[in-house]
Amino acid sequence: MALRIHRVIGLARDADLAERLHRLEHAGRLEYLTLARDDVHRRRLRARTDRETECLIALPRDQALSDGAVLVLDEARAIVVRLTVERWLTLSPRNEASALELGYFAGNLHWRVRFAGPRLLIALEGPKEDYLARLEPLLRDGRAVEVEDDAAAG
Amino acid sequence: MSPDTQSPDLPAPARVGIGGPVGSGKTALIEQLIPLLGTRGSSVAVVTNDLVTREDAERLRRGGLLDPHRILAVETGACPHTAIREDPTMNLEAVDRLVESVPDLSVILIESGGDNLASTFSLDLVDYWLFVIDAADGDDIPRKRGPGVVRADLLVINKTDLAPLVGADLGRMQQEAREVRGGKPVLMTNCATGEGLDAVVERLSHDVLFDE
Repeated sequence: MALRIHRVIGLARDADLAERLHRLEHAGRLEYLTLARDDVHRRRLRARTDRETECLIALPRDQALSDGAVLVLDEARAIVVRLTVERWLTLSPRNEASALELGYFAGNLHWRVRFAGPRLLIALEGPKEDYLARLEPLLRDGRAVEVEDDAAAG
Repeated sequence: MSPDTQSPDLPAPARVGIGGPVGSGKTALIEQLIPLLGTRGSSVAVVTNDLVTREDAERLRRGGLLDPHRILAVETGACPHTAIREDPTMNLEAVDRLVESVPDLSVILIESGGDNLASTFSLDLVDYWLFVIDAADGDDIPRKRGPGVVRADLLVINKTDLAPLVGADLGRMQQEAREVRGGKPVLMTNCATGEGLDAVVERLSHDVLFDE
């Protein structure tokens, strides 16, 4: 039977919750609900924990999901949200003109980006191949180069 | 249920976005959804987005499916993407007005302005969103991998009755849509007749309304 969740109790790092979570974890009663970064913005969501507990989440608008959000906490079990690691595509433009072009291109496609010095980081919210296909004209003639090491993504 | 899992606060009404190109059938889909959701006990309101008119809201009001005060129009005045994604302020204000004026709301449908295949919804504005495409616009639409087609929670291929008239291969369209969407749901509808709409409502009920 699905579990209906209508509020966030707190964060796992909160002192008063951490102790109880620690005990439940030792008793094997701590479940994790792993969510994509995008999904934490939703106030309504159906998802399953790592132990197949189905959760129907419907929060008030003034509450939000986040990494470490505690959704269930009682003697029987706890359910805590975990976020997946965000993936980034790191690009290095050839020169200032290419940087302007790359920035315009990413903005035109409404991609979410970050900057790391001379590099542009694009949040991958779908298959990486889709992004590379869109960027193909810029990548083909070297106006932008993919940087494989994504350490800059932090 | 433990006191730690429940709140005296009622969850806010579900917000469902409906996007898609101009003429794909977004308003027609809403016209079909309103009575079907009502039959299931949902209390429905609608926010429409148009570029410089209130055409869609006026069409819905004329249709008489909802009390007029449950329908609000947003005139985006500019890029329709922005009003549902980068800066959804106007839509958030419209939603707040509906929540205040219709206390028993359970679902708000937010129709985007008609656009191309690139529009997506901010999840700060909606909990779940559909993207509607027109089968008669060509069976190659899904493999163009537009962000709306790829990322929507539910893709609706509408006007299926018109596909044979323009030589569009519906089976291929559906298969390629499933491939580019990584298994996320794809449904076929004909909003002129209501065909396929029960499946859309079932999907909404399962994924976001939780009213089963």
